[in-house]
Amino acid sequence: MTTQPAIAPSSANPDEFNPFLSMAEEFDRAADHLGLDEGLREVLRIPNRELKVSLPVMMDDGHIKVFTGYRVQHNYLRGPCKGGIRFAPEVNLDEVRALAAWMTWKCSVVNIPFGGGKGGVICDPRTMSMKELEQLTRRYTAAIMDILGPDRDVPAPDMNTGEQTMAWIMDTYSMHVRSTTTAIVTGKPLSIGGSRGRREATGRGVMISANEALKMKGLRPEDTRVVVQGSGNVGGIGAMLMHRQGYRIVSLSDMYGSIYNDSGLDVNAVLSYLEDNGRLEGFPEAESMKNAEQLELDCEMIVPAATENQITSQNVDRIKAQLIVEGANGPTTAMAARMLDDRGVIIVPDILANAGGVTVSYFEWVQDRMGYFWTEEVVNSRLEQIMVNSFQEVAETATKNSISLRAAAYIVAIDRVATVYRLRGMFA
Amino acid sequence: MIESAPNHDESLSADMPKTPLLDDETPFATMMASFDDAAQRLGLDEAEYRVLRQSDREVAVSIPVPLDDGNVTVFDGYRIQHSQGLGPFMGPLRIHPDLRIDELRALAAWMTWKCAVLGVPFGGSAGGIRMDQHAHSKDELERAVRRYTANLLGDIGPERDIFSPDIYADQQVMAWILDTISIHARHTANSAVTGKPPELAGTAASEDAVARGLFWILRLAMAHYQIGGGSQEIMIQGAGIVGGNLARLLHAAGRPVIGLSDVHGGLVNRQGLDIPALLAHRKRHGSLKDATGDFERMTGKEFIAQPCDVLVPCAVANALHSNNAELVEAKLIVEGAHGPTSVRADRILEERGIPVVPDILANGGGVVVSYFEWVQNRQGLAWLEPVIEGRLKRFMAEAWSATRALQTREKVGLRAAAHTLAVERVAEADRQRGLYA
Repeated sequence: MTTQPAIAPSSANPDEFNPFLSMAEEFDRAADHLGLDEGLREVLRIPNRELKVSLPVMMDDGHIKVFTGYRVQHNYLRGPCKGGIRFAPEVNLDEVRALAAWMTWKCSVVNIPFGGGKGGVICDPRTMSMKELEQLTRRYTAAIMDILGPDRDVPAPDMNTGEQTMAWIMDTYSMHVRSTTTAIVTGKPLSIGGSRGRREATGRGVMISANEALKMKGLRPEDTRVVVQGSGNVGGIGAMLMHRQGYRIVSLSDMYGSIYNDSGLDVNAVLSYLEDNGRLEGFPEAESMKNAEQLELDCEMIVPAATENQITSQNVDRIKAQLIVEGANGPTTAMAARMLDDRGVIIVPDILANAGGVTVSYFEWVQDRMGYFWTEEVVNSRLEQIMVNSFQEVAETATKNSISLRAAAYIVAIDRVATVYRLRGMFA
Repeated sequence: MIESAPNHDESLSADMPKTPLLDDETPFATMMASFDDAAQRLGLDEAEYRVLRQSDREVAVSIPVPLDDGNVTVFDGYRIQHSQGLGPFMGPLRIHPDLRIDELRALAAWMTWKCAVLGVPFGGSAGGIRMDQHAHSKDELERAVRRYTANLLGDIGPERDIFSPDIYADQQVMAWILDTISIHARHTANSAVTGKPPELAGTAASEDAVARGLFWILRLAMAHYQIGGGSQEIMIQGAGIVGGNLARLLHAAGRPVIGLSDVHGGLVNRQGLDIPALLAHRKRHGSLKDATGDFERMTGKEFIAQPCDVLVPCAVANALHSNNAELVEAKLIVEGAHGPTSVRADRILEERGIPVVPDILANGGGVVVSYFEWVQNRQGLAWLEPVIEGRLKRFMAEAWSATRALQTREKVGLRAAAHTLAVERVAEADRQRGLYA
């Protein structure tokens, strides 16, 4: 297997809708700004290590099926690799590489001592039984065990993997090394070394980022109408926490549609309605609308917390918000972002705004290593400290260089990795 | 997750009995009987519970020891590891000539449940060396302990199985174990052993940890049962490391202790005893026998029959039994000792409407502080005494409210609630981890 760059040269494809190309573009711009030489760029573009494994699994019907899994460690200069494992039919090595690189920048921008990694298995979890998924997870863990470890590479949940998957990984690893090793993986259930406050972490980080961004515009939460795209782990919890802070959450959405009330939604009522009915549509005290119209609502802030490529060159002209806090990964295309920058719209970029999740994953790892578990208040206050510090550092870099928060975030992140590279030198 | 589950009791490997076994000859069966109830209450899958009923691993080692006179003798050693769902094993070492494996099995399982109730991330274990340490020199004992440790090296250590002291294995024994593990590992492995001396990476608040935990549970239970609003009448049976320290803590907190007893009988003063004077006397003379002061002296049986708000038995097992449970005039009993209320006394007290806060919850302060010692050793940072006190209080309070919540949910007594909580927590962790192939 030849090791390909995790960060494709940005000129390779002019496709606006490829978020990895947007990342590559940001990387090039930041590298130019930092004056990185071509050799160092090459080091940072290419993953440190890639592993491909075949995973034979005895299926319930008695036949053996061989799955393909990957683990890519993009960069472990700043510490052990950190990154999720996804189970999906469309998993491919290029995507895993790009996501691993993304994790390197995300961990670096919030200054937690991890490098970036990512893993995936090509499979369709919807067609598999729990038993088959357990077998697959355990076999995958055993197959990549040589490069895993609390000081090597610490996986986490991602698409179609969750607490149960993490529990199986922890159990498999622990049984192999014959020691309880909770710090091998994060996103575990509380009963076996999970962290309090983790489920809310990404939403909480979004809320903290929103608070900081608000200060840049001199707004108060009471005067801020917020449109939240999504209503799940990030959007729903983020909206709930912002609602508690006094923001006027005027709209929420799910995959079927959006709801809107200009005087503000009672977010707790919306979320319990969603839990009872499986969809937002029909929530009383709100009007329904199509998702396409939601982002164009009159508001001060948009929190896109659903999926990538939501704010694009197609709809950017109709966006009225002054602030965008990216809860999802890559919701704003590079082209749209440039147009918004020109209009003075502040975008808190994904690698900063949604880093609350990886930060509390880091806390979980710290707690597992010491074997002592913090109260939720301690977790939340440490999260706030890290998010606020990171935001301020990025904001200062942006102001000093008259650039966007996104460009500044990449500069801060890449500079940290490059500095560590120079300090450590090249291992012989 | 179970690596090997030796089939140590044929009667248990059959389907789970509908009526719990109550065989006084096997401590394991007796101890597990109450947990069988809990498992049935939770509707645990039979296979799932069968896993919990057996030890994860049982290791037997022979320990050849050169004696001072040049001969060699061989001792038997064991380590029973009950359940590792919640974390590494942790449990005591016992050195005793009449050591029985079944007793160790019971002790190991008991440690699992206790850690689970208190929210401590350990599974339970217990070990022993069948040896009469009084018939051997200190050197011979040291050689036996070191060889025992060396034979178990693959199965013990900070993330595998942690030793804690027991009445039959003191701090010196813990230090030898620590040294043997460290020398073999070629690095200091302080967190492999708890209950270490303060000079050897031990923890503050270790000596009176049980009493400290008891103090918080006592306060929570009294508040809950609305006992002793103005005048609080607390009586403590036993003036040793648990009872004596509890009396000291209560006295220092301005809560009058009206009765204190030891093997020679009880002392009662309804206005409150002069605890510092009594403890000073006991320290000087070894007992309360000839103590003088302003109190009424009485027999142990009379002592138990005194009306009071809370009776805290901190002395021996089965202190409250079928012959004296009828006499108890306390409004609340908090168990400081291990098993101070016999099964029949427990039933009598329940019928009389006297609540009993069970040992597994009430005297768990020792396990919690042992766990803190392990954490501090892992961090390489010694916590100050007030930090330990604050965190211990939180652990005890959380265990209390979790037990109370289960009591409300299942409509059972506190003891059954605590046992159910333990089984539920361990079963949940096992379910999440799944069965390792």
